[in-house]
Amino acid sequence: MKRPVKLALLFAVAAAVGHVGLVYVTPHFLMNIAMKRISQDGKLINQFYFGPRTTQNSRGVVRPSPDLAYSSCAYDLSGGPLLIEAQPSPDNGYVSISVFAANTDNIAVFDSAINPQGIRFVLAREGQATPAGEKVVISPSDKGIVLDRRLAPSAERFAAIDPARRGDKCQPI
Amino acid sequence: MADLQKPSRWAVAATISGGLMVGLLSGWWAITGGMGGQNYSGWYGSSVTGSTDAGPWLRARVAISGLLALNKSQAIYFTRKTDDGGQPLREDCNYRVNGGAMPGQWWSITVYAADNYLPLNDDDALSFDATEVQPDAQGKWTGVLSATKPAEGAWASTRKAGNFDITLRIYQPSKSAQTNFAAIPMPTVTRLECGGKA
Repeated sequence: MKRPVKLALLFAVAAAVGHVGLVYVTPHFLMNIAMKRISQDGKLINQFYFGPRTTQNSRGVVRPSPDLAYSSCAYDLSGGPLLIEAQPSPDNGYVSISVFAANTDNIAVFDSAINPQGIRFVLAREGQATPAGEKVVISPSDKGIVLDRRLAPSAERFAAIDPARRGDKCQPI
Repeated sequence: MADLQKPSRWAVAATISGGLMVGLLSGWWAITGGMGGQNYSGWYGSSVTGSTDAGPWLRARVAISGLLALNKSQAIYFTRKTDDGGQPLREDCNYRVNGGAMPGQWWSITVYAADNYLPLNDDDALSFDATEVQPDAQGKWTGVLSATKPAEGAWASTRKAGNFDITLRIYQPSKSAQTNFAAIPMPTVTRLECGGKA
C-alpha cells in the first residue's frame, strides 16, 4: 500500500475513533458530574438530597423547571438493592419518581396518577436477591440517579409539598 | 536504505492527531445545539428523548442540553429558538404565545438562556404554566415573553436571557400525543416589537 493511502486510512480511523468516542463518553461523563454534585462529592450516596426551590441560581443540572421541586438520590447498587419510596403531596399534586441509568437513559418512571397513595419499588441489578411481593426495577448499571419531581409552581406550593417529600426513601434493604 | 513506502513516525503521529481532532470537532458539532429531534411547527422534539431507544447521538445531545429528561410516557419536551417568522428569540423583543388545550395533565413554557440554564434575573417569572393562563370558552390561551412584566396575563421573563430559547413540557401526555407528535396543537410564537419598535 502506498504511503499517502496508508496515511489517509489512518486519518479516517482516527477521526472515526474521536467522533464516536466523544459521542459515547459524553453521557457517562455528564452523568458522573451530576451524580457527584447530587451526592455532594460522594457523601450522600443512597439517600435523597432535597433541593431548594428552583431559581435562576439553580446550576446543578441543565434546564431545570422552575415549576417543579426536585429531590434526587445518587444510587450505587454494588452493595445490594435499594428500597425507593415517595409519599404523595398533600394537595394530591403531581409527583413522579424516575430512575436514570449511568448512560442517562430513563429506565423507569412512576407517577401519582397511577400511584395516588405513594410510590414504592425496589431498585436492583440483574441477579440480586429482592424481597418477594415488591415491584422491582432492574438497573443496567450499578450507579445512576433517582429523581423525585413534584409540581410546585409557586413559593407557597413549594412550602406545602416540602414536608411530604422529606419522607422519601432511597435506602438499602 | 529507508523504506519510501513506510510513513515516518512523525507523519503517523501527525496524522493520528489530526484525525482525532477532526473526529472530536465533528462529534462536538453533532451533539451540541439543542436536544435535537424533528420540527413540529417551529418546535423541536424527539419521541425517543430519555428513552432506551435513543441512539448514541440523540442520547449525547440530551445529556448536554436536557440531562435527566423523562421518556415520553411521562413527559414530552419541545424546544424552539425562533419565532414564527424564523427570527431568533431575543431579550430585546416581546413575543405573544398563543395556544389551545394541550394533550396532557399539565404543561409549562420555560425560558432558557444560551447556556441551558434559567436566565439570571430575579423576576420569579421564569415560566408560565397551565395553572397561570386563562383559557377562553374554546380553550385558547395567551402568554407573553418579555423583559418587563405586561399589564396582565401569563408572563415569562426574558430579562438577562440574551438570545434565548423556550421549552414546552407536556406532563402525563395522552396516548395519542405520545404516538403522534404531529397531531399536538403546538403554540404559536409571534414577535410583537423589538427595542420598543414594532
